This record gives sequence, C-alpha cells and structure tokens, in this order.
Amino acid sequence: MRKQTSPLGVKGSLAKTSLTRRQFLKRASVAGAALAMPCIIPGSALGLNGAVPPSERIVFGGIGIGGRGTGVLRWMLPERDIQFVAVCDAKKSAREAVKKVADNHYGNQDCKTYRDIREFLALRTDIDAVLIATGDRWHALASILAMRAGKDVYSEKPSSMTIAEGQAVVATAKRYGRVYQTGTQRLSEENFVFCIEMARQGRLGKVHTTYAHIAPWDAAEMKHDWLPAEPEPPKDEVDWDQWLGPCPWRPYNQAYARGGWRGYYDFHTSCIGEWGAHTFAQAQAGIDCLNTSATEYHYVNNPTGDEMVTVFPNGVKMILSRGDKWWRGSCGMRFDGPEGWVAAADGYSRPDVSSPKLLADFRKIVADYMARTQRPMSHVRDFFDCVKSRRQPVANPVVMHRSMSTVHAANICMWLKRDMKYDPVKEEFVGDVEANRLRSRAMREPWII
Amino acid sequence: MLTAKFTLGFALLLAGTMVSFGQGNASAKAQEAKLIAVLKSDASRKEKADACRELALIASADAVPVLAGMLADEQLTHMARYAMETIPGSAVDDAFRAALGTLQGRPLVGVIGSIGVRRDAKAVQPLSGLLRNADAEVAQATARALGSIGNAEAAKALNDALANVPAANQVAFCEGLFRCAESLEARGERKQAMGIYDKLRALPSAPQQVRAGALRGAVLARGNDGVSLLVDAIRGSDFVLVAAAARTAMEIPGAALTKALADELPKQTADKQILLIQTLGKRADAGALPALFNLGRTAAGPVRIAAIRDLPEIGHASAVPVLVELLWNADRAVAETARTCLAGFPGPEASSAVAALLTKGTVEQRLVAMELVSRRRMNESIPTLRQAASDEDARIRAAALKRLGELGGLSELPALLGLLSKASSPDDLSAIEDSLSALCARVADAEATSSQLIAQLSPAKPAQKAALLRVLVTAGGPKSLEAVRSSIKDPKPEVRAAAVEALNSWTTPEAAPDLLALAKTAGSPSEKQLGLRGYLRWAADGEVPPPRRLEMCREAAGLVERTEEKRMLLAALGGINQPGALSLILDYLDDGAVREEACVAAVTVAERMGQGRTPRKLTAEQIAGLEKAAQVTQNAELARRARAVAAAAR
Repeated sequence: MRKQTSPLGVKGSLAKTSLTRRQFLKRASVAGAALAMPCIIPGSALGLNGAVPPSERIVFGGIGIGGRGTGVLRWMLPERDIQFVAVCDAKKSAREAVKKVADNHYGNQDCKTYRDIREFLALRTDIDAVLIATGDRWHALASILAMRAGKDVYSEKPSSMTIAEGQAVVATAKRYGRVYQTGTQRLSEENFVFCIEMARQGRLGKVHTTYAHIAPWDAAEMKHDWLPAEPEPPKDEVDWDQWLGPCPWRPYNQAYARGGWRGYYDFHTSCIGEWGAHTFAQAQAGIDCLNTSATEYHYVNNPTGDEMVTVFPNGVKMILSRGDKWWRGSCGMRFDGPEGWVAAADGYSRPDVSSPKLLADFRKIVADYMARTQRPMSHVRDFFDCVKSRRQPVANPVVMHRSMSTVHAANICMWLKRDMKYDPVKEEFVGDVEANRLRSRAMREPWII
Repeated sequence: MLTAKFTLGFALLLAGTMVSFGQGNASAKAQEAKLIAVLKSDASRKEKADACRELALIASADAVPVLAGMLADEQLTHMARYAMETIPGSAVDDAFRAALGTLQGRPLVGVIGSIGVRRDAKAVQPLSGLLRNADAEVAQATARALGSIGNAEAAKALNDALANVPAANQVAFCEGLFRCAESLEARGERKQAMGIYDKLRALPSAPQQVRAGALRGAVLARGNDGVSLLVDAIRGSDFVLVAAAARTAMEIPGAALTKALADELPKQTADKQILLIQTLGKRADAGALPALFNLGRTAAGPVRIAAIRDLPEIGHASAVPVLVELLWNADRAVAETARTCLAGFPGPEASSAVAALLTKGTVEQRLVAMELVSRRRMNESIPTLRQAASDEDARIRAAALKRLGELGGLSELPALLGLLSKASSPDDLSAIEDSLSALCARVADAEATSSQLIAQLSPAKPAQKAALLRVLVTAGGPKSLEAVRSSIKDPKPEVRAAAVEALNSWTTPEAAPDLLALAKTAGSPSEKQLGLRGYLRWAADGEVPPPRRLEMCREAAGLVERTEEKRMLLAALGGINQPGALSLILDYLDDGAVREEACVAAVTVAERMGQGRTPRKLTAEQIAGLEKAAQVTQNAELARRARAVAAAAR
C-alpha cells in the first residue's frame, strides 16, 4: 500500500489499487450485503442468531457529535453490524465525550479522536460510513467531503444552509455512488408513515392541504451581531477556524460553540429550518412531492413565518404552523382531504384522525409499506441496510435537498418580505433577482467545495 | 474616504441585530453607494463584513473595484468574495481572473473557488497553470474549479495534468474530471464524457470511490451499450465495482438490463446473488420474476429469503401463487417470510388467494389464512369468520373469534353476544370476551356498543354476566358505568367481584366517586381496600385537575390505614403543588412507617411551589414542617434541600 503525504502533511494510505474479495469484505461496506445478513434477512436464517462476525461489520465514524449526535449514536451503537471506531470534532471536550460513550459501549479504549476533518478523512480509509451531527453550518460540507473520500453518510438535519449546498450534496452522492441519509427519522416512524400512506393512497380523498410544524421558540428573522471577543483557546481545545468552517469569520466566544450559534444568519436556518427540516419531508412525502419543492410562498407579516402558505406544483397547499393548533406536541404534521384528516406529532400512541374508522387499517398500512419498500421502521437501520444493499435510503439526497429547498425558499420569502414564485425544475426564483442571489453564499477559504 | 465618525454611524444601522433584506429596487442604488462608502472608510472589520453581506444581495458592477481591492486582505478576502460571487456581469469575472496572478495562499484558494462557482470559461487558461502549484490547496481548488467550468478545454487541462499529479491531489483532480464529464454529457458531448470516465476507470492507484464513480459514469454515458460494461463488472472479482454496478443498475430503466441481471443470477455466488436480487427488487420490473421464483423455491437460506422479499416490492399478481406455495414450506424462515410478504402484497389477487384458503384449506391452512385475513384487513371475509366461530374445531373457533374482534364492526356485535350467551366452555367464553373487548375498543360509538352489552346483562348467567361487565370497561361511557355500578350489589359473588374489578379498571375518572363509596361502604374488607386503592390511583392521575385531586386526597386521608395506602396517598399529594397538599403531607412526618416518603413529598411540593412566575409563599407552620423534615429524614441530600427551601421561604 502506498503511503502519501496529504495537504496537511499527514501520512496516510490515500489510494487503493485493487482489492481482493477478502480485503474488500474487511473494509468496504457492500460486504455487508453479501454476508452480514441479519439486517436484511433474519439472523435465524443464517444460523448466526443475529451475531455478525467483526470482519463483516460496517466500520463507522463520527464527525461533530454533540448532544443530538450522541443521542443518534446511542441509537446506532446497539446495531450489531457496525463498529464505531473514531470521532472527529473541532472541540476536544466533544470528541472525548463521544470516545467515552463508544469505549463504554465496547468495553475498550479503541475509539480514536481527531481534531481536523481533513486529516480524519485522509487517514481513516478503513471507515465505511460516518454520522455527521455538527451544527447546520457544517452538515453539507462535511457530507460532501466525506462522500468525496468514499464514505457513506448519515447526516443530521437541517442538512444544508443554502439551495446551492443541497445541490452539491445531491451531485456528490451521485458522482461517487454514495449512500446518504438525512436524519429525518420520522420518515421511518410508523405513526408518520401511516399518515403519509393515508394521504398518498387517497384514503382522505384528494388531499388539498398539509400542515407542517416550525420551531415554536425561534424566529425567521436572523441575528448578525457578534458576541464580545474572548481569547481564542488553544487549537487542540477548540479549533475556531474549523468550527467556523465555510461561514464568515467572527471573533471567538465560547457561547457559540456551546450551542449559542442558533439564531445567527451565518450558522442557522431559522425557526423554519430548525423544524421544517424535521417536518417538511413528511408533508412532502404525503403529497407525492419529494422530488420537487413548493412553487409559491406567501409572505406573512409576523416574525416567525407562522401560517405561511406554500403551494406545490400539484396545487396542494402546505401551511407552516408554529403552535399546537393542528396537533399536540412537537414536530407535528397533518393532512386534510375531503374525506377526513390525519395528524401526528412526537409522542403520540397513535395518530389523531377525524374519525376512528381511519385508524382501523393502521397495522395493515404500515405493514404494507414495509413489505412494498423493504424498509424497516428504524431510520438508522434503513441507512445501514442501504449501506449494504447500495439502495437509496428513505431520506436520500434528493429528499433532503427538495425538502430543504422548501425551507430555504420560505426563509428567503420571510427575509425579503414578499411573495415568491420558485421554479423547482430550474431551481430558481421566478423574476426575483434578489431572491436568486440568496440561493448560495460564498464559502470561506479553504472550506470551499 | 469617509470619516470614521460618519461611517460608524451608518454601519451601526447595518449591523443591527436583525437582518433587513429587500430594500426595494428604487433605493438599491443609493444603498449600494452607501455600502461602498463603508468599505472605502476606516470602518471596523465587522462593519465591512456587514456591508459585504448586504452587497451580496444588491451590488452591481459599481461595487467591484472596491471589493476586488479587498481580495488580498486576509481578514476581508472572504467577505469580498461573499459580495462578489452573486454580482451579475463580467466585471467580477475580470476582477477574479486578474487576482489570480497577484494572490497566494488562502486568498488565492478562495478566488479560485469563486471562479469555479461562477463557471468563468475565460479562466481556464490562467487556472491551468495553477494545477501544478506547489501549494496543494491551490492545486486542488484549481482542479475542482476547472471541473465546475466543465468545458472541453478545462477537461483537457485536467487530463494533461493527471498523469503527474501528486497522490495527495489525485482525488481533487478526479473530482474535477468528474465534473467536466457531467457537464460535457449534459451538453450532448457523450463521447468526450465517456473518454473521461474510461480514463478514470483505468487510472492506476485510484481510490475505490473514484473507480466506483467512473464505472457509473461510463455505464450511464453509454446508454443501452453500457449494459455489457455493467454486467462485466458484476462478473468481476472487484467488489467495489460489483457494488457500483448494482447501484448504477438502479438508475437505468428498461427490460434489457433486467434480463441481463436476471440471467446473471444463477451464475453468481450467493453474496453477489443477494446484491443482484435486491437490485432487481428496487427496479420493480416483472421481467425478473421467473428468476426470482426459481430462487425463492430452490435457493439456499439467505438468497432464498431475499428473493421472496422482492416479490411484494415488484407487486405482480403472478407472484401470489408462489407465495401461497411457500407458506407451507418446511423451512420456518421461508414460510414466515412468505406469510409477511403475502400480508403486504398489493392487489386483489392476494386477497382472493387468502379467501380461497380460508374456505377450502386444511385446519392449519385455515389458521394461517385467518391471520392473513386480519393482517390484510379483508372485511369481505367477515361472514366466513363468523361461520368459523362456530366451527367444530376449537382452534378454528378461537382464531375466528380473535380475528372477528380485530376486524368486526358494530354489526358483528349481536352475533358475538349470541355466541357468548351459548358458550359453555371456559375457553370459548374467554375467547368470546376477548373478541368483544377488541371489537368494543375499535368501535367509536360507545353508546351503541354499551346499549347492546347492557341489554344482555339481565338474562345472562353469572359467568356470562361477569364477562360482559369486563367488556363494558372497554366500551366505556356513562351507561356502561351505571351498569357496572348497579352490579356492585349483585347477590352472586362472581358477578360482584367482576363489577369491583371493572370499577377498578375503569379508564376515566368518572369512576372515582364509586370507588370512594366502595371504600367506605363495601361489605368485605378486601372490596373496601380495592375501592380505596382505585380511588387513590385517580387522586394521583395527572389528567384530574389538581384542586380536585387535593379534595380527593382529603377524602382518602380519613380512610387510609395500611402503610401501602399511606404511601399511595403521599405519592398523590407529592404531585399536587398546592399549600393544602403540603400541609396534609406534613401530618405524616410523625408516622414512622412513611416518614421518609412524607419528607420526599414535602420537599418536592415545597420546591415546586417556589418555582414559576408566581411562586407561592409558605406559611410559618409549613416552614417549621420543612425544618422538621430536615431533622427527621435519613437522607442527607434531602435534608439539605429541605433546609434550603425553608431558608428561601423565610
């Protein structure tokens, strides 16, 4: 194996010529499709009782794993066919916390830590797939860098800061044949799947309106102030340049790196992105609009975008809703048709329905969906299955990009304070030069794609 | 240049805490002039950054000179590009190109990136020279930018440089070539695109993702002629390419490829077979079915399972008889997979096949069919289930009753009640009761179900009556509760016990007064105890408003005798953040059996009373009580909390 010097001066195995089958089985993710069947076939069929030999596991790593990411990681670690081996984070405290979680899980000290994402990707050619759970600002860039380095990607949401970033994620995943899943896990939860299928199958009549929750605490208007400058910590503690990544520079203040980045235009996608990234994909799935975005955005004169009406190419309205008017609890969504409505939010034992009769086929509808799509009711399991089968996960790059394009366009509508029309084929606003200029933001060097 | 004073005043307007986009076209020009003035002034970095952000939205070529002048400034180069990247017209491109010869390091990397974003074809020549730059970041950014420009000239520059590219830059150069190939193909220049992909495929020492991407591109660029290339990859020993071929096959429609993949199935090893099977499932082309049927019938374990699981995904009716055949396979995993697939198989043919099994099958087949009837929600089979509920075989009867409960509606209620009245064996009675409960749980019309159930109560035998009382809990509603209430006084002990059990299991707080009455007046101590405990459970239920729960606790306080009941009372009081609850709790500090529980409840309530927008004050007696709790508790942490909350209250 040739050892090469990376741009960072680190020694690593950057290139592989050809693989023997056994080498491949040890390293590349598709090996799982061949032998690590328990995720796709019941373990009993193999006589393995669910156990997966180490050589057939998906070698897994993490990038920017904070609070939410640790939750997802804890969700992933029990999957028997993965082995989490390394974490990369600009913050020492975060990478060490994740190492502790992984080491505790495996009962060893094997999880390696990296500060620099380029070093991590260059050195760890053994890693098949990564969990990315940085803040909004890094999700797309880290996904692109990882996929370009040959990794499959599970990226937390919101998965892009701009329409252009989303396009780049789609292009990169296609280019290298990577498996990518955005963390809209409700697409793999039975209550939401039931609602989506009820709408798609016409059991509510022709759906005319869907409602999607936006974050009830943030605003659509964004902050631009800089917090007071504090002395930059040593790079090993917090690599501030890397933390900022592609965003405009600003002086260090520890509050940003402790979660206080939310609400800032440079780092966050607003209350619409904060929860639209949780809910729009489900709403668009139910109206068969996962491969497109809303075409009309009607400005609402309030600080949040609450009650904004968007219209999809098939004429169905999606209304952004901030409160609990259409559901109880968080991340709600609802479909309305002439023959009834269904709604779900987190924590429901079963969806809310206009008539209990609509719930009669709950089990069947979910089971049919699972049989028809071969998808499990577990978002992370769907991802790992696809890493092995090379199929597209339920929240694949197109689903991410199209639902996030709706988020971005809604934000732009609020920021420019006027109605918008968007052409989802050309991916541009119609007759609005200013809006089109907000589809991308120049990335800060050297974090360009 | 403007004075610093003027600039600062204006910049403060810009740097407000909220962004203010969309100034309107009329004022845009004036706004641009003001922003340019900020950039020309000695304003702070923050002020200039804000100006650049606004210029990104509205700037014209007028802003280019001042922005271009900032490109070499390491502090402002990014924000200058931030403003420039979105400005229409060639002035920006000219400025970026001009900067290529003057910059180095990070500013140069940034400008190269922006040229790529703007796809400036005139920049190919100056960029080409940078491909061999000693700074790896510069060379890599250049390769990607040339790729974004993506014309034949850019592709040639990258191609020419590829042979001698340092390994560290190889992936970036490949990325550039991929981008060129995609652009060329989009413009109809397929041959050139193919040439690039083939070159990348043949690249010695290319990383796996490049080889995978190159295969994909080469196959797609060839159109129908790409099938043989894809099949060759599947036949090969490089699993990176096998996987890439499978992935690519999901992007290509058409019967020819389906046939080619299906033809490969018998020739391949099990691991490749599974990958191919999953690929064929995703393609959902019925042309693959004969091959899948064959594997579903004859292959070994995992391959066989994978082939069966494809059938509902493809969803063609011809798969139904195969699935029915596999239902009875000796291999349990095969049979279970077939059952799951048949349960979710789309279309009426699968339902017809299940209905046929239900009427004509053996006992074992009928049992499986009944499960499938329920899973497929085959309401049309309810009459058959109704008949089966009186079958001579006990297993058929039990299964039919279970499925009737899962599927049936209000119209099935009389039949089930008829069966209940005639049931003689405990097993049948239990199965009918479960079926009735399942049905009542699903039927929304509580009034209608309870009326029918209650009508059966009076003539029913004791065992049937007890069963009906338990079903009434599921039916719910005021009429059902009244019927249960009346039965508390039934002379038959079996019926009375069922009524007490039903009252205790009632799912809404309307039963609470009856439970209290039971606790006070029941004939037997055990019934009194059941009543009191049931009442205390409602006193602790968060769905009941706190004042009402406090009232209930006061009622119960006079009745509790046993330690367990005192604990339940304290647990209920601990969830009520009201002064009355705290006073009641403090009474138990002297009770050695529940002293610790009382201390925990008291501190919890007192702490919560002190929180929120309008904290409630504690009385002197309550403060003294908390101080006493601090003294008597065995828990040091709890004592500390008790003292703290008492001190805060004082």
